[in-house]
Amino acid sequence: MKFKEILRLVFINLIQNKFKVILTSIGIVVGAATIVMVIAIGKGGKSDVAKQFKNLNAGAIDISYTDETESNSGNGSNSGMPGGGMMPGGGGPGGDSNSSGNNSNSSNSSKKSSSNSSSANSSSKKSSNSNSSSSSSSSKKSSTTTSAKSSNSSNTSGNNGGPGGNGGPPDMGNMGGNSNSGSKSGNSNRGMMGFGMNKNEKITLTTDDMDDITTFVSGLSDATISYTTKSTVEGGDLEEETSYTIAGVKENYKDMSNLSMSIGSFITTEDDDNKEKVCVLGYSLAKEIFGDVTDAYDSTIYIDGRAYIVNGVLKKMGSVSSGISPDTSIFIPYQTGVKYITGSDVNPTITVIASDVNQVSKLKKSIKKVLAKSYPNSSFTIADAGSKMNAALKSSKTLTTLLFAMAAIVFTVGGIGIMNVLFVSIKDRTEEIGILKAIGCTKKNILTEFLLEACFISIIGGLIGIGLSFFITPIVQNFNVTVEHSLNGAVLSLLFAVLTGTIFGIYPAYKASRLVPVRALNQD
Amino acid sequence: MKLFKENESDATDNSVKNTDYTIKTEGLNKTYTVGNEKLNVLKNVNFEVKKGEFVAILGPSGSGKSTLMNIIGCMDVADSGKYYLDGIPIHEQKEKSLNSIRNTKIGFIFQNYHLVPTYTIVQNVIMPLLMRGISYNDAVKMSMDTINMLGLSDRIKHKPHELSGGQKQRVAIARALVGDPSLLLADEPTGALDRESGKEVLKLFNKLNEMGNTIVMITHDHHVAEHAQRIVNIIDGNLTVN
Repeated sequence: MKFKEILRLVFINLIQNKFKVILTSIGIVVGAATIVMVIAIGKGGKSDVAKQFKNLNAGAIDISYTDETESNSGNGSNSGMPGGGMMPGGGGPGGDSNSSGNNSNSSNSSKKSSSNSSSANSSSKKSSNSNSSSSSSSSKKSSTTTSAKSSNSSNTSGNNGGPGGNGGPPDMGNMGGNSNSGSKSGNSNRGMMGFGMNKNEKITLTTDDMDDITTFVSGLSDATISYTTKSTVEGGDLEEETSYTIAGVKENYKDMSNLSMSIGSFITTEDDDNKEKVCVLGYSLAKEIFGDVTDAYDSTIYIDGRAYIVNGVLKKMGSVSSGISPDTSIFIPYQTGVKYITGSDVNPTITVIASDVNQVSKLKKSIKKVLAKSYPNSSFTIADAGSKMNAALKSSKTLTTLLFAMAAIVFTVGGIGIMNVLFVSIKDRTEEIGILKAIGCTKKNILTEFLLEACFISIIGGLIGIGLSFFITPIVQNFNVTVEHSLNGAVLSLLFAVLTGTIFGIYPAYKASRLVPVRALNQD
Repeated sequence: MKLFKENESDATDNSVKNTDYTIKTEGLNKTYTVGNEKLNVLKNVNFEVKKGEFVAILGPSGSGKSTLMNIIGCMDVADSGKYYLDGIPIHEQKEKSLNSIRNTKIGFIFQNYHLVPTYTIVQNVIMPLLMRGISYNDAVKMSMDTINMLGLSDRIKHKPHELSGGQKQRVAIARALVGDPSLLLADEPTGALDRESGKEVLKLFNKLNEMGNTIVMITHDHHVAEHAQRIVNIIDGNLTVN
């Protein structure tokens, strides 16, 4: 029998059994739609991440002071960072942070043992540094106050067990005993103590800190300092005072954040030095306040009641995952903001750019060291864009994998559905198969016909599924998921559909081809 | 030409396997095992049909006539014995060649018509031609004469369920004839038809026989069998010739 004629018969059968074909293919429809969506969502996620990070330099490292409210955990993490290296320790407190080599575990325990530790604190501040490991021995010695510095240095080594020798710690030893087990409790004590000492000092990173970092840490290509705050704004088309994000920045912020101007110019160093009341608007904001970018240029807006000239408007930059969202912010000179808006109540972020992206983690450590010199007890958040991006990409990958697993299950179920229906169909068509074989149809012909039917059912299912996915898209987008359809997704899902249909069609088709005509004809 | 065949039943005479005989069997045996019982369905059946004959095999149900028909129709094989169709030793053939022998040598007509319900009349009729690798359009052209002869030309686009029983059987006959087979094999061709339609079909058989077709008809009905030139009785697997 000619292949063309077999195809013709297949089509006749499919058309005659439209309803059954549709029902059969439902599993495949769902499977195909799932695959398309999986790929679209996966792609969407990736491009989301890419979009969010496109304004961020991969080598960018953000440094900011961790708020006191978070200090508990902050301590833990803090200490974790400085860990190994910090011999220098400024005052007593440096020791505290040093001990941290032990890491985050300590933060947990610190909370529990805090009461203990606090008492300990009062009695002996620095002594706590001594590592708990050494506590037993140290406890016997009783020198209440050791010099903080010495304890510091000992600490670092102390982790390794050395510190006991310093002798300073003895009180600690007692404390340690009280507060319980090993090194962790010891650590936590220290953490707490450091804390206590800082308590009322609020650290404001300054340009000096930035200079410190750029001076002492090599391998940085650029550094800037910025902060954001909220303030009321008037002017333009605004009918009433509205609160917007105000970003205090330096001139080089623009290049470091890959911002570009739609019109006008960015904040300049002179603006900053002279504390000029000028500003640059984000694209969306300019539209919101003035209705149009060109209208915004050279206009005046009132921030916190003071008039600012709009020196420029940024291009639309899209969303960013962290830092300042440029589209919806007002940029003003750093010093101007400090003078008129924030006063001393500001928590700036220092952003540095690593010349070599691969050195980022090393640089982070070095920065920690430098900061620890100036602010021994304080915790800083030091985050780099690359790791954030990786984390985001990883989570989007996980999601995709999960969805893929789901699609595979759906396809399997769909395939079993096809197999089922084909078996029933073969039962129904036993007479037909019998007569075809009686008049000379070969096994191969029958096999081909039934396989083709399964194949076409799944192609139809696949196509419907792909169509369906376009209807699902708006629903999914409603949940703020970025969906990006691609030809690849459609082709892949069709491929999977055909594969499923064919694989699950093989057995029924084989069964059909093996029917004995005599029995098939005499069935009823 | 009515050639009554004398049944000498000499299975031993090997010289007779020439092409004068459309069918020649020698000592066919077939046994079915049902549960623990062995059913000897065909016992040493020697049966011959000459070219151009119209033979009826008459027997009650359970006599083994269906089994004989399946073996003659190359859909089943005997346990032992020889069967020549058009001089071809069927008992030596593999399944694959049996397919093409059924396709080219035999036209089947069944009691229940066995038309494919999803195909139109013309599609049903041309099936045997398609299986020979003839293309659809050529097959339709080739079958038009047969379809016209059977008075089905205005029905070719219809589906089987739109036809009466007699018409369906004519479609089945058309399908059997279209491949120009050596043997028309009819299994109770009037079994599902009313008396009038049955008579018409039998008349048609006579006509086809006069045109030179060799016909073997299996039936349990004495009246139907009488339309044939020759009747062969089968009872309990034994063939007796009138």
